[in-house]
Amino acid sequence: MPASRGAEAAHPAVLEFADRLAAAPEAAPAPAPAAQLQLITFRLDAEEFGIPIESVREVTRVGDITRVPRSPRHVRGVTNLRGRILPVLEIRSRLGLEPLDPGPRARIVVVEVQGRLVGLLVDAVAQVQKVAADRVVPPPDEVRSAHTDYLTGVVHLDRRLIILLDLERVLGAGGAPSPAVSAP
Amino acid sequence: MADENAFAELIHEYVAECLPLAERVSDAFLEIERAWHRGGRDAQAIAELKGTLHTLKGNSAMMGLAPMQRLAHLLEDLCALALADEGARGLELAGLLVEGSGLLVDLVRGAAEPGGAAAEAVGGFAGRASEYLAAHPAAPAAALRLDRRRSDRRAEGDAGTIRVDFRRLDTLLEIFGEAMIEQSALPEVHRRLAARVGASPELADLDRVVVALGSTMKRLESALMQTRLLPISTVFGRFNRLVRDLARGEQKQVRLETEGGEMLLDKSILDRLGEPLVHLVTNAVVHGIEREDERLRRGKPPEATVTLRASALADRAVVSISDDGRGLDAARILARAAALGMDLPEGDASAAYAVIFAPGFSTADAVSQVAGRGVGLDAAASAIHALGGAIDVASEPGRGVTFTLTLPLTLAIVRSLIVEVDRERYAVPLSHVAETVRLEPGAVHEINRQGVVMWRGAAIHVADGGEILGSAPERVGGRKYCVVLSAGPRRRAVLVDRLVGHQDVVVKRLDATVGRPDVVSGATILGDGRVACILDAAGIVTQRAVA
Repeated sequence: MPASRGAEAAHPAVLEFADRLAAAPEAAPAPAPAAQLQLITFRLDAEEFGIPIESVREVTRVGDITRVPRSPRHVRGVTNLRGRILPVLEIRSRLGLEPLDPGPRARIVVVEVQGRLVGLLVDAVAQVQKVAADRVVPPPDEVRSAHTDYLTGVVHLDRRLIILLDLERVLGAGGAPSPAVSAP
Repeated sequence: MADENAFAELIHEYVAECLPLAERVSDAFLEIERAWHRGGRDAQAIAELKGTLHTLKGNSAMMGLAPMQRLAHLLEDLCALALADEGARGLELAGLLVEGSGLLVDLVRGAAEPGGAAAEAVGGFAGRASEYLAAHPAAPAAALRLDRRRSDRRAEGDAGTIRVDFRRLDTLLEIFGEAMIEQSALPEVHRRLAARVGASPELADLDRVVVALGSTMKRLESALMQTRLLPISTVFGRFNRLVRDLARGEQKQVRLETEGGEMLLDKSILDRLGEPLVHLVTNAVVHGIEREDERLRRGKPPEATVTLRASALADRAVVSISDDGRGLDAARILARAAALGMDLPEGDASAAYAVIFAPGFSTADAVSQVAGRGVGLDAAASAIHALGGAIDVASEPGRGVTFTLTLPLTLAIVRSLIVEVDRERYAVPLSHVAETVRLEPGAVHEINRQGVVMWRGAAIHVADGGEILGSAPERVGGRKYCVVLSAGPRRRAVLVDRLVGHQDVVVKRLDATVGRPDVVSGATILGDGRVACILDAAGIVTQRAVA
């Protein structure tokens, strides 16, 4: 039934996730006097990235993504988010990774930045992670690559390293100064 | 926070109500200035403005907008003086009325953002107006103010009319669009159901319901569109002052005439029409029209005319801007185009003139630049193209220039041809489709390494869909169909794999995140829930050959 294709929202995993999002802000201020960050973390290759939960509107499965002719290379395309046309960014190429066709665990993280809704295509969503704000440190040399521009810092947790993304930067270039347009 | 929102809402309403009033006052004063300039001394029009000024003053006071209140009050006093003292009816007083009402328009328009240059200008104006009033103590201001009450009632409007925030109409249209998308899935579901159960009476019933729903949706659409229409005079109205101010700065005499102001257009188009029109009108006054001495030498009346004209043409609206100036300088335009290495379109003169719309054509000395501002005709042209419209120019040396804009009546829903290229679907607005042709083998020829097809006895350039759209470029000749696109007098054929069918699509804008692809004007959601890009047919046609 083709009409149901757009209805990813009904998926139980997403609903559960939405509940968690809804519950999160209430839980946050009560027990934690020290400033806390809540992150949604996701994977790209072996790395774990985090973005502040306040920016995330929802996480959905990857439906049909329509390519937009002559758009910048980091734009994967547009998709139908319940009747709304959502741009989907290939965040991998933004961070210097090779683009990848989405696998079964791939998700679109829908973020709101400066009033705009944008989808980020990620390999897999890991979890919601609370961290104390003072554990965020500047990016160490091993991740200080050419793409440090898009990072605000890193958090070490046990053996994990979460890289914090600067969403405004990731989305900011919006295509304006980006010369990387496909086809001459 | 809630209070702030409520206040913003009130300001929004204030602007919606008062801006047309202020514009009406401003236009009327311009008219009066012109009449007095010709030696007339009639003040009847001023008497008719009393109620409007009073409403403006009252509404501004209610919102605590002191500068507007003060301006309206000063204008009232100046009007009272004009009514009482015939000797004062001259250019000095008219100039103050025009200036004050112009300021009022600016202030009301910018009411949502306090401060700004206009608010400061009030002080200067108020000083001069008060001085003038003090020097002419004849005004029995109180007498004027007494008999105002009665005329105020008329401003309330007809009993059967209500004001609705336009955003609500947008929401309504959005919901209608969703219903249309769902509706467009029905035939496919019907077809599959028929394939499974075969002929049955219930299926015939379903068929009837689907057809009936289709016709009801059509009626709903047209009723909905009716609610969004406004007369184009709401845009034309702004130009009286622009033309006056520009003409003054250029020391020219220019009269603005408007025709067809009652033509109705979707507000979403009107909102985006003002800016390109400003470019074109400015261009006409600054560059098109000769200085007075030159006009006299050529035996033309010293006062030049710029005409804004609107008319409806089937499912398109035509808006033209004409001047009776010197016309385009063809030699200079051709030289400039050659210097820039532009290919000149072949054909008649109007095709050659079309290069003035090309990006980067703007020059310091030629047709397209407003002194010091660096805005060109290309900006106007691209704004019109972005509206799904076309722009053309005609020029008669010594007689003037006419720019003609052809616009869709609405932006929201566009009848389109759905095509497939490299298994991707695109919507092509039917208004730009001249014809679709099934390609015979060998129909595409190559001339100068550019594909060409014969169409209605002429050779037109043909481009591969995959190449334009950046999907796998196919060897020319591999595609089955050819869509002939048209924009104004220009044509271009695009090769596609499949023609899927006609469909009304709901136009949605693409977020700036995806860049500004020059071949796509928006996107829509098809019946199967997938997104399809809408091709910018005018852009593709006017684009130079893709290398």
